[in-house]
Amino acid sequence: MSIRQRIFLLVMLTLLGLGLVGGYSIWQSQKNSSEVRSVTEGVVPSALASSDMLSKLKDVLLTTRAILAAPDLDAAQKLANRLAEQKNTLQQSLAAQSKEADSEAQKGLVTQLNETLADYYAAVDSTVQFKLQGKDQLAEANYAANAAEYQSNIEQIIETLRIQKNRSKDEAIAQLNANLKQTVSAISIVSLISLIVLGVMGVLLYRQVIRPMSRMQQMMTEVASTQDFSRRLPVTSEDELGRSMRAFNLMIEKIQDGSERLKEKTADINSMLQNLPEGVLTIQQDGTIHPEYSAYLETIYETPQIAGANALDFIFSGSTEGADALAQIAAVFDSSIGEERMNFDFNAHLLPQEIERKRAEGAHQYLALHWSPICDENENIEKIMLSIRDITHLREIEAEAAHQKRELEMIRQIIAVSQEKFHAFVEGSRTFLQENRYLVESNVFDADVLTVLFRNMHTIKGNARTYGLQLLTHSVHEAEQTYDNLRKDPSAVADRELLLTQLTEIGTLLDEYEDVNDNKLGRKGPGRRGNAEKYLMVERTFIKELCDNLADMPPVEERQDILLDKLRSVREQLGRLGTSSIHDVLDPIIQSLPSVARELGKDEPVTSISDNGIRLRNQVSDILRNAFMHLYRNAIDHGIEQPDERAQKGKPTAGHIRLDMFRDEGKLVIQLKDDGKGLALERIRAKALQTGLFTGESDHTDEDIAEQVFASGLSTAEQVSDISGRGVGMDAVRAFIRREGGDIKLKFEDDNVGHAFRSFSTIITLPESYMVI
Amino acid sequence: MAKILVVDDSSTVRDEVSGFLSKNGLDVVTAVDGKDGLTKLQANPGIKLVVSDVNMPNMDGLTMVEKIRSELGNSSVNVIMLTTESSPNMKERGKAAGIKGWIVKPFKGEAVLETFKKLAS
Repeated sequence: MSIRQRIFLLVMLTLLGLGLVGGYSIWQSQKNSSEVRSVTEGVVPSALASSDMLSKLKDVLLTTRAILAAPDLDAAQKLANRLAEQKNTLQQSLAAQSKEADSEAQKGLVTQLNETLADYYAAVDSTVQFKLQGKDQLAEANYAANAAEYQSNIEQIIETLRIQKNRSKDEAIAQLNANLKQTVSAISIVSLISLIVLGVMGVLLYRQVIRPMSRMQQMMTEVASTQDFSRRLPVTSEDELGRSMRAFNLMIEKIQDGSERLKEKTADINSMLQNLPEGVLTIQQDGTIHPEYSAYLETIYETPQIAGANALDFIFSGSTEGADALAQIAAVFDSSIGEERMNFDFNAHLLPQEIERKRAEGAHQYLALHWSPICDENENIEKIMLSIRDITHLREIEAEAAHQKRELEMIRQIIAVSQEKFHAFVEGSRTFLQENRYLVESNVFDADVLTVLFRNMHTIKGNARTYGLQLLTHSVHEAEQTYDNLRKDPSAVADRELLLTQLTEIGTLLDEYEDVNDNKLGRKGPGRRGNAEKYLMVERTFIKELCDNLADMPPVEERQDILLDKLRSVREQLGRLGTSSIHDVLDPIIQSLPSVARELGKDEPVTSISDNGIRLRNQVSDILRNAFMHLYRNAIDHGIEQPDERAQKGKPTAGHIRLDMFRDEGKLVIQLKDDGKGLALERIRAKALQTGLFTGESDHTDEDIAEQVFASGLSTAEQVSDISGRGVGMDAVRAFIRREGGDIKLKFEDDNVGHAFRSFSTIITLPESYMVI
Repeated sequence: MAKILVVDDSSTVRDEVSGFLSKNGLDVVTAVDGKDGLTKLQANPGIKLVVSDVNMPNMDGLTMVEKIRSELGNSSVNVIMLTTESSPNMKERGKAAGIKGWIVKPFKGEAVLETFKKLAS
């Protein structure tokens, strides 16, 4: 039953109880009042009337006596009339009494009275008759004889009746009193019962409502104070309170759920903040750091004093950011936090993504910073979150990796070059660098000095390029460019410091290469290079092959034919000892031609080599390789035309470069020829005039002009390309070859004297000692 | 078409900002100080966004915005301030004057373009 129903019932029962008590009281009082009325209106007047009757009888007696004593007839007559009235009155009283007689005794008494009264009246009447007839004595006698007796009877009967009546009256009053007492006790009992019932009901209701309610209230207080959402109210009823409790339980279940999820999330976030290998902090509106930040932040910054610190001072402590940059960052914080989200987007680009800071012990630290806004539901920025990664290690690894990569690259480049060539390159380059340094330090930069500076650097560049020492070529090219600019512009002032710095830089690079060569590759020293007359340069594998061949010799007594063959073969092998074929020497150059041609927009040239069985002493291989690097490149760059130009002339689009090696007049001759447009005599002449190599007056033969190719500072290429065209290529080549006792010159192959272009070949001659047939 | 009013006494900033915005298809009106800004705003009812420097001769940017709200009674135009630094006082005045945002110089066009387009339409 619901509480509402119970309260309703209680109220209804209360009303019913009150109604009952009231109704009963009314009923009882009505009953009592009718009883009171019957007593006051019936029994009591009736009792009084019986006494009254006695007095009326006395009246009749007195009047009768008065008649008897009447002096005359008139008076008697008058009295007789009064008597008649009095008799009548008494008769009426009696009639009334007879009506109100409430017991058999009384009724009997009334009947007796009636009869006696009739007898009395008859006696009185005859007495009065006698008197009126004047017979006084007779009247007197009659009266005395009859009436007096009746009179006394009647008096007795009335007295008896009166006593009876009084008794009735007393009984009625006693009854009335008893009834009233009963009413009072009945009402008291009903009231008491009602009170008890209502009390019980109230207690029940109290137990059902107040107790659970106070329990609920207590529990709520406890839950609220302990935050223990695992507690539940015991639901004992299905009434409103029961439902409230259920609702309450459901509510705290949801709160428990929510708080558990919240706890879990908080724990997750805490664990993240504790274990994240990243510094995470949030910057509040007042510019300080929120107390919750990731533990790793303390590791990165080596301090636990973070919560509440000024974010800007903390984050950039020891950093290389300037005061202005910091002011800008502060302005970004101010302009963003507490403002709309767009403000972060506007200004985020001013927040640094990486900083370098000095740690307490002086070491440098690189930190990667990632900034993001934390917004509320209205997209207003509450805080700025910053995650910080220490990328120092990464940077170190990067630097280490770059260093190793560079070293590996150097190793790759160095091992492609033989030890003696590398050594010669380093030694040669050092000499050139030293000469340049000496010249630069002398601080005189005239045309001659600049030419030497330039030629030296150009030679280093050519060699470095040939050997593929690419880390060097860039710096060398820059230095060369600097000299070239000074050479071209006589008004330019040489920056001595810059020139020295460039030389130092190249020197350092050279040291680096040498260090890798000597220490990483263990190739310190000049290697196998030496005097061609005195030494042979032999590869280990060659000796091994020879030894294998000798070990293979059959016993002398058997198969002499095989033995002879073997001996011939060994002699041949020994003959080839310390020599290379021109193919071996030129192979790297031939290999590089397709890419050179591509770079110049020309078709890959066809090359052919005829060596007439001549092999070259290893001592001269490097010099020839250097020389032919220039010559082949020049052939492609200056000789061979662009494919469409060749097609117009009816030539195949791919050029042809031919090399012939032979012995002539005790000398080794190597001749190179291409099928290009020939030597640009007209342009060389113009250039020579322009650069002052020729003076206008003299008459120059084609041979004189051709000789200018070997002059320093001549370049005829319309476009200074990276391949050749510096005009020092050929003078360097001649210098190399002449140093080995040989020579290089151009020889015309046609008779078109005076033409702008003439077909030619390049002839290199070398002492016989460099060849083996 | 919605217009943007760019107010800055520095012609460099003015040209940079207005140049970038007009290059990106926005209709830009420029003014050289706060007073000029008020005049231009009155003359061009199509202006939906004001981008203004703070420190300027004759009338500074914040005063101009306050006058836009009080004297011109224009409460709808969006205002964004260009600034080099920020102070609580400035931000308080800005908030009271209903300033939408703050851009710390130097201005980076790509970072603001989309928002500007939205605010100007």
